[in-house]
Amino acid sequence: MVRVKSRYLLCELVVSDRSRLLLLDDRAIALAVKAAVARTHGDYGAALCSVGFSVKYLNAHTGIVFLRLPKRCYRLLWSALPFITSVETRGQRIPCFLNCLHVGGTIRTCQKFLIRYNAQQLHRMLPKCKNEEEKQQVRQAILSCSLTRGNNEALEDELGGEEEDEEE
Amino acid sequence: MRPVDKKDQSAVYQRVVLKNASPYHYMKVCLVLEDESTRLSAVELKQFIITGLKNLYGEVGAALTFDLLKYNEDTLTALLRVYSRGLVKLWSSLTLLGSYQNQACAFRVLQVSPFLLALTGNSRELQLD
Repeated sequence: MVRVKSRYLLCELVVSDRSRLLLLDDRAIALAVKAAVARTHGDYGAALCSVGFSVKYLNAHTGIVFLRLPKRCYRLLWSALPFITSVETRGQRIPCFLNCLHVGGTIRTCQKFLIRYNAQQLHRMLPKCKNEEEKQQVRQAILSCSLTRGNNEALEDELGGEEEDEEE
Repeated sequence: MRPVDKKDQSAVYQRVVLKNASPYHYMKVCLVLEDESTRLSAVELKQFIITGLKNLYGEVGAALTFDLLKYNEDTLTALLRVYSRGLVKLWSSLTLLGSYQNQACAFRVLQVSPFLLALTGNSRELQLD
């Protein structure tokens, strides 16, 4: 009843060049989001972004970002995300865009959604597999989808690895 | 509402309250500058207010449509019209506009009303002779 509520935005960072994705870190993303909000919503938006906003999780292999936003203004800050065209890190400018997949009230619900989403992506990849070995790997990954500690990271790393195979 | 007896009808007092009656709000504002001899044209004033909106509310705020209905260049008094949803944004950005071309300035808001007719009379400037 007196809990502080927030909204967690599950976004996917889409870049044209996957290798450059590995250079990103959460501070660069936070800066990019704050700059976009300041441009779109001015001083008012910058002030809203200063208190409750943070980047909770970033997976450089798959480009999944969890953003924590305060509940009373998450829609305003969400509306500024499509205006992000590039993220600047270590002197390099990486053109990208943020694709929002899910909004959840807690990190746990976002994790559950992410697992279901990854399983759907794997299902979609299965008919596109070129040889039997890859098919076996994908089936293995689908069967091992579950919400347990340590499994999450393994699942996402495998997904990242298999997406690289597909793109070749 | 309580049912009224037929014989009481002439003595009944009725109060009619209109909520969100008008889609627009009208503001009469006056710009006070440090150097009193500077003059702004209507276009310059509108541009100045838009920069104020942009500073406080960003691109989305600068896109807020408002109209400059009447402007008196000598007294720098203007009549602005804005959609009711945008009144708070416009008024707060007028409050926080501090400087025009490196001179201090202030916007005095004289009257605000959802009806244009209400801005014709002002009891502050009433002359009782």
